[in-house]
Parts: sequence; C-alpha cells; structure tokens
Amino acid sequence: MRLEDLPSRRHEAWKWSDLRAAVSDRAEMLNGAGPVGPEGPVAALAQAMGDGYGPVAVDIAASGDTLENRFTEGDAGSYGSITVRSGVTANLIERISVSGSRLRPWLPAYTRIEIEPGASLRRIIFQDNRLSNGQADEAVVLNEAVVRMGHGATYQQFVLAEGARFSRFETSVSVEGEGAVVQLAAVYMASAKRHVDLTSRVSHLEPGATVRQVVKGAVRRGGRSVFQGKFLVSKQAQKTDAEMAHNVLLLEEGAEVFAKPELEIYADDVACAHGNTAGQLDENAIFYLRQRGLQEAEARAMITRSFLIEAIPDWMGRELHDEIERRIDSWLGARA
Amino acid sequence: MLELSDLHARVTPEDGPPRDIIKGLSLDVPAGEVHAIMGPNGSGKSTLSYILAGKHGYEVTGGAARFDGEDLLALEPEERAARGLFLSFQYPSEIAGVPVMTFVRAAMNAQRKTRGEAEVSAPEFLKLSRAAAAKLRIPEDMLRRPLNVGFSGGEKKRIEIYQMLMLRPRFMILDETDSGLDIDALKVVAEGVNELRAPDRAMLVITHYQRLLDYIRPDRVHVLSGGRIVRSGGPDLALALEKSGYDSIADGA
Repeated sequence: MRLEDLPSRRHEAWKWSDLRAAVSDRAEMLNGAGPVGPEGPVAALAQAMGDGYGPVAVDIAASGDTLENRFTEGDAGSYGSITVRSGVTANLIERISVSGSRLRPWLPAYTRIEIEPGASLRRIIFQDNRLSNGQADEAVVLNEAVVRMGHGATYQQFVLAEGARFSRFETSVSVEGEGAVVQLAAVYMASAKRHVDLTSRVSHLEPGATVRQVVKGAVRRGGRSVFQGKFLVSKQAQKTDAEMAHNVLLLEEGAEVFAKPELEIYADDVACAHGNTAGQLDENAIFYLRQRGLQEAEARAMITRSFLIEAIPDWMGRELHDEIERRIDSWLGARA
Repeated sequence: MLELSDLHARVTPEDGPPRDIIKGLSLDVPAGEVHAIMGPNGSGKSTLSYILAGKHGYEVTGGAARFDGEDLLALEPEERAARGLFLSFQYPSEIAGVPVMTFVRAAMNAQRKTRGEAEVSAPEFLKLSRAAAAKLRIPEDMLRRPLNVGFSGGEKKRIEIYQMLMLRPRFMILDETDSGLDIDALKVVAEGVNELRAPDRAMLVITHYQRLLDYIRPDRVHVLSGGRIVRSGGPDLALALEKSGYDSIADGA
C-alpha cells in the first residue's frame, strides 16, 4: 500500500478526516500492507497490522457471552468477523487504550458482524487517551464495523471516544430482515490536538426497523470532531422509525466541529427525523451553580458532564455506566 | 447588613443594546429584618436580585452595594455565596445527571472550602437533609432525582428552599418564590423560610403579590418602580398596594 491509496479530503466520506495528510510523515508503516480491496483502506491496514490478533472468526452460539478485545500496544490491528447465532444475546467490548512504549502507534480494527434472526449484540468501544508520554497525540485509531442484521435482530452500540492524532469510528449497519432494532450511541470528548470522527450509515432494506442514534460530544480549543450520520431508507423499508441526534458543546473558542446528518428516504410511510446542534454552555445554568457556591470551573464541568451523560444508553450496566462517568469526570478534570 | 446606595445598573441582552434598569436605588436591610420589595412587572425586581448575586451581563454603572461592610460588587458569585448570600431563583436551572442531594453536598463543601472550613461528614449531611426534607414535606426519593429535571414549578421552588435550609445562608433573596405554588405549598415553603429568621440573618423578599407576605411577615415593604424605590413603609403598605394597585403608589411618588 502506498500513501496515495489512503483516502484524503478529496474523498467525500473523508473530507473532514484527511487520513492521508494525518499519516504522511509515517508512510513507511504502509509498506507491509497489501493493496486496498473492496473492504476499504481500514480493512487493509487492520489485516496487515493484525499480527497476533487476526484474522479471527468468532462464532457466538451461547447467550451471555462477552467477548473482550484490548488494543493497548502499538501497533495492534484486528481484522475479523463475528457471527451471533439465531436467538443468542451477546456482548462485545473493545478497549482501545494507547499505553505501550511504541511511538506513533497505529491501531486499526475492522470487524464484520453478522447478527442472525432474533439475535442481539451489544457492542461497547472505549477509547481513551490517558497517557504518560503523549503517544495519543500521535496515535492513529481506525475502527470500522460492518454489521448485517437479520429478521428481528437487535444491535446496540456505544462508543466512548477521547480521540487521538487521528481517530475514526465508522459503523455501517445493513438492516436485511424485518423489525430490526438499532441503537447507536456515543460520547466523545476532544481536547487540543485530538481528532474524533464518528461516521455511521444505517441502510434499511427491509420494513419495520426502529433506529435511535444519540451522539453527544464536547470539544475544547484545538480539538476537532466530525459527525457524519446517514439513514438510507429503501423503497420497501416501510414503517421504518428512525431518529438521529447529534449535539455538541464547543467549550472554548477555537474548538472545531463538522457535522453532516443525512436522510435519504425512498419509502413513503416512514417516520424519520434528525437533529443537530452545536452550542455553548448555558450561562444561566453556570450562574445558578456559582450562586450555590461552586467555582466557575466546577460549574462548567458539572454542566458539561450532565450534558454528556445523557447519551449513555439505558441498557448500559451499572459497572460500565460508572466507568463511563469516571472517564468523563477525568477528562473534565484534566485541564488542557 | 446589606446597604445599597444610589445603585445604577444596566443590562446588556445578548441580542440587543444595553438598557438602564436600576436608576438610583438606595436600600438598607439591617440584620434580623425581613424586607419585601414589591413592584409591577418590568420595574427591575429580578434585575436587582441578579445584580446582588453577581450575574454576568448585569453591569453596575454607579453607586455602591455593601454586604457586612464589604464591597459586594467586587466579589465573584461563588464568593458571595460563601459569605452567606443566597438567591432563591424564580426559574431554577435543570441539571441532568446530578441528584439533588449530591448537588447540595457539592455546593455545601464548595462554600466550606472557600471559607476555609472542613467538609461536611456524611452522617451530619444526612441528618441535616432529613430534617430539611421533613420540614418541607419533600419525599426522600425526590432528593435522589436529578436536580430540577422534570420537577413542576412548585417542586422547583420547594427544592430551592430545601437548598436554603441546607446551606443556611445569612442573607436570603427570594425572587418570586410564590409563583407556581398553591396555597398549601406556599404555607409549607413559608414555614421553611421562617425557620431561618434570626437576629444575625436578613431577607429580601421580592414579589409581585401580597399573598406571600401573609405567611412571611416583612418588617419593611418597599415599592420598586422605574428602577427606584418610590415608597417605603410597614407591612400595611403591602395591603394598601393590594387594594389600590401599583399605579396609585407610583403616581404619588
């Protein structure tokens, strides 16, 4: 693979996340990677850097299984597929945490997921940048999942992202059976020098799906976030009920956000909506908290926290819920 | 305790030019007293409460405000709070994800920290909270819900007074506390407020209607009109206002 094979801002789907430019100074890493195939560049990189991890094919046939993937040492790729068998309920947790000694690590992952009829998968991604030596400033995190859902299947996803020099979390869901339930939620936090991209596409090919997407983020000076969400509803996907919301707080001057919510609908009997807001902290609420004695910084942190945690889904277990809150608190406590 | 002399203030809305709202207001509230400020809509009542609490966008252009002899206007809102100034908001903010009790404890400790005092212990806090909740007839589970989220207008007011009982401020400003309360709730809230009456505390009760003053008896009543106090008197003044309306008073000034 050559640098020119990577997508750049000239590609519509990557216009705000210029991967080629972000890694132009470390193109030597691409030498070991094969050509970009139909699965795209992330798959090719994940395959090449997946030593020790993949390719793997996991078959989940019993309910209650939790599959945990950790990406901690650079360079750690993962390329594989997961099948959740009919009627089975399973969990997948991916932890992406740059803590190894490798400078400028790459962490590409590409996962094909198949959820069979009546099956259910919860997928949780934790990506943090708690680092001692600044590697996250240099890390390249690429995470792509391609999900196919059968009749009556459920897919619930939550992403907690703190970004990296370049990070992109891409999810493509294809609803191939009737009455599927899709819930996509994310909380992202981008401080200076961090790039967080959340891209998703839900394609409805069959009727009666219910989709809820809630993405909330906070961006500080010098941080940059990208949200691209698309619902595509084909002609036969009647009775689709889909809502998309992306809300972001720009905490300081010099924070950047790029958002593109998209609905492409060919069916006539559907309920689809999207909402997108980018705003600042509510000054009235800050004053209220300060009047009760909280320092201004504490008040701002409390309101930001209160805004972000609303995106944590109801289905999140107590323990993971607490972990998410702790990570939000720790991010808010760390002054950039 | 609180002395305002010839105060002038202007408000700069986010979407408009500055407007002068307070135009030469003088007021002296000594310790141990409860003063009521009454006035028609737009007379500057809420502006006065925001200025005293230090809200951003409310600019004092002249005069002075002293609290226990100290220049109140030089202090940040949280410093005013730590010195014992409490504003019961007309429209309290909703804070998702922060239970009422968690919030009040954070506020209490923040104030204590500013004053150089030790944090409140968990048993001590719980004891205070139980007593305050019982007094105001607030169910315990409400205190575990996120602050003001989904609360009715009356519940929000009750939670304001709960916070007041917990934080035990020395100077209280009640901004339209009676709005949104039915008569039973009003009595309960007034009971809570009256508990804090003490020789070393004082209160400013801002209201449009006389009703609240049946339950929180003021020592003095002031009529605010056009950004100034146009008339002051005893509790009877509130009754007279109720009967003859604000116009007659403002005209007579």
